Amino acid sequence: MSILNYNGGCVVAMAGKECVAIAADRRLGVQLQTVSCDATRVFQMNDRLFLGLTGLMTDVDSLHNLFDFKVNLYTMREGRQIKPKTFSNLVASTLYEKRFGPYFSEPVIAGLNADNTPYLCAMDLLGAPAKAEDFVVSGTCAESLFGTCETFFRPDMDAEELFETISQALLSALDRDSISGWGAIVHVITPDGVTTRTLKARMD
Amino acid sequence: MDPLLRPGHCAPCMPSALGAPQADVFDRMDVRAAAGAFGAAPVAGAGGALQASFSPYQDNGGTVVAVAGKDFCVVASDTRFGLGYSIPARKVSRNVVLTDQVVLATAGMQADTSTLHKVMRTRLRMYQQNHNKPMSLTSVAQMLANTLYYKRFFPYYTFNVLGGIDEAGEGFAYGYDAIGSHEKVKVVCTGSAQSLIQPVLDNQVDGKQLQMGADPPPALSLEQTVDLVKDCFSSAGEREIYTGDFVEICKITKTGVEIELFELKQD
Repeated sequence: MSILNYNGGCVVAMAGKECVAIAADRRLGVQLQTVSCDATRVFQMNDRLFLGLTGLMTDVDSLHNLFDFKVNLYTMREGRQIKPKTFSNLVASTLYEKRFGPYFSEPVIAGLNADNTPYLCAMDLLGAPAKAEDFVVSGTCAESLFGTCETFFRPDMDAEELFETISQALLSALDRDSISGWGAIVHVITPDGVTTRTLKARMD
Repeated sequence: MDPLLRPGHCAPCMPSALGAPQADVFDRMDVRAAAGAFGAAPVAGAGGALQASFSPYQDNGGTVVAVAGKDFCVVASDTRFGLGYSIPARKVSRNVVLTDQVVLATAGMQADTSTLHKVMRTRLRMYQQNHNKPMSLTSVAQMLANTLYYKRFFPYYTFNVLGGIDEAGEGFAYGYDAIGSHEKVKVVCTGSAQSLIQPVLDNQVDGKQLQMGADPPPALSLEQTVDLVKDCFSSAGEREIYTGDFVEICKITKTGVEIELFELKQD
């Protein structure tokens, strides 16, 4: 069994018109045993940038703390907020530093650029980035998420439509994966702010 | 010795998870890599030592879907024949029309698919001759399960889906595993893009994930079902390398089977 499937969990991010949404499940397990239903794998880095981390939970936590630290130092030194593409590069370099003993986590970065256009990027555990205009997925049910997102996505959705679409895509994919689930959380980022909602989902 | 385990009548292991490197029936296996994979000490030899290996199985990919409605059934499969990272053929049929009310679609290994279809057609013809009537969907479903289980210890590497209209005029589908375990359902999908398509069918046909207390979704008509199936295959073709080229869609109604060919991307 792969170490990336040990704790379970998944993250998906989708772009709309001047908005992005990022969503994740809330299960933390030890192989097939569920240990917690309120695990957090999506973290806010600043008011227009979110980072989602899947894979081994200990590495999710470690990377979250490491990136909080690095972003804080960047903000102090630069006197401005970090741009999504710069943060993306930072994440990629941090992961590649551990090329021969990697962090077992595959991040998803979702943010809004200064001109309010969406920015999406997914990475593998070694830091190889893959930017996308439509959606990015990561986690144990990534294949199912590819299927649902590819079918349900349309370009230029507004914040409400984007929320509905990403929720349905996530919930449908979750229900076909035994090690993801136990609730879901969705953040929608617009130029006016962030709206966070938890979804009513099958608790199994 | 157990007669069911006669030598030559047992399969060596099914295709390994090594994927592309050992795609074909006759391949060269890197001795050191393979030994490492089985946990044995690697063989010390000249760099790149190779050993010929034979596996009776091949994974040719492909995805099959069946969605049944009130009085119709849609059975669809892609037509790409893949091998490792190559595409030897783009228009290979995975469907066989067994009677004018029953269609069998099969993904997995193409050689076993062809043979299984030939065996099923032959047995159905014999039934027709002996009983002077075509086999019903329920009977074909059971016969397919028996045919697959007959080869329990050297299976057909096939993932089957059977769709049609039963004797009461209602549409149904059956999903199978490689050795004949089957289930009667309204919606089923199997093959290389199963994990991509199944959640979409759960959401759109079964209406899972709707709001609590909301009405169940309206039953889809034949045209809506065909459109949904085309959408599913388009999405799968985007994100899955073994699915693409064309989709052969069989629409089964009480008047018979109509076949439509739908184009997908060739990349």
